[in-house]
Amino acid sequence: MTTTSATSAPSATRHLPATKDLWVFVLGDFVIFGSYFVIFMVSRRQERDLFIESQRHLSLNIGVVNTLVLLASSWFVARAVQLTRDGEFDRARKLTVGGGLCGLVFIVIKAYEWSAKIAQGHTFPSNNFFMYYYMLTGVHLFHVAIGLVFLGVSYVELRNRRRIAPVETGATYWHMVDLLWVVIFALLYVMR
Amino acid sequence: MTAAARTTAVWAALSAITVVSWFLAPARHAEPVVASTPITVGVLVLALIKSRLIIQEFMEVRTAPLWLKLATEGWLVVLFGAIVVSYVW
Repeated sequence: MTTTSATSAPSATRHLPATKDLWVFVLGDFVIFGSYFVIFMVSRRQERDLFIESQRHLSLNIGVVNTLVLLASSWFVARAVQLTRDGEFDRARKLTVGGGLCGLVFIVIKAYEWSAKIAQGHTFPSNNFFMYYYMLTGVHLFHVAIGLVFLGVSYVELRNRRRIAPVETGATYWHMVDLLWVVIFALLYVMR
Repeated sequence: MTAAARTTAVWAALSAITVVSWFLAPARHAEPVVASTPITVGVLVLALIKSRLIIQEFMEVRTAPLWLKLATEGWLVVLFGAIVVSYVW
């Protein structure tokens, strides 16, 4: 039985959430995104003034709101995992829907942000900063879309077979998407 | 603290740190903004705290096997170390 909740487990008990295969994928994605981030930083170093000046044209409010939206989605998804372990499948399913809706809001806001930047003339070939901006946020957005598929699988599992592993898998992937955004937000929007 | 309360506390902390970051960003300023090592290091420390909270709490690495703890902590150290080095170097 794996109904022991994570926080009440004795420290000697080690539980691997989701599957080992998923974690290999997540760690691989960490390495790939980590490489993107370091390459971005090296380019930034070479054109620091251009990057700082270009950064000011980003919508900081939109960046902050989207971060808060993803953090809220992670709360929904983390709680859904806990409720699944407690056998409260219907509530878990509702919270999974809440997490997914936050993901959709993130995509809509990102689409609006991109269209606003393009309308202002800041496009992919404008300069290196905007090239990285569209590349990093674009690859991340693709991960958000995949994450929504994972949450869809969780939803179906919670309705039908009620196995915990697929729910943990969807949640782990979703939190990875949230985590990568947190780093992108710091590098693109906030650092000087 | 129940699991639910802990998750909610983590979410509140992550959101609060995000709002603090908002005050530090160049896009908030109308006047020209110059590079600032103290502000950038502060931003990176906040991002590191947020990243580690998500990994430890939401991804439940806190109670995961040792190999996963080492792998994720190692990734954070290498990533943020490389970011700081490429900034100040």
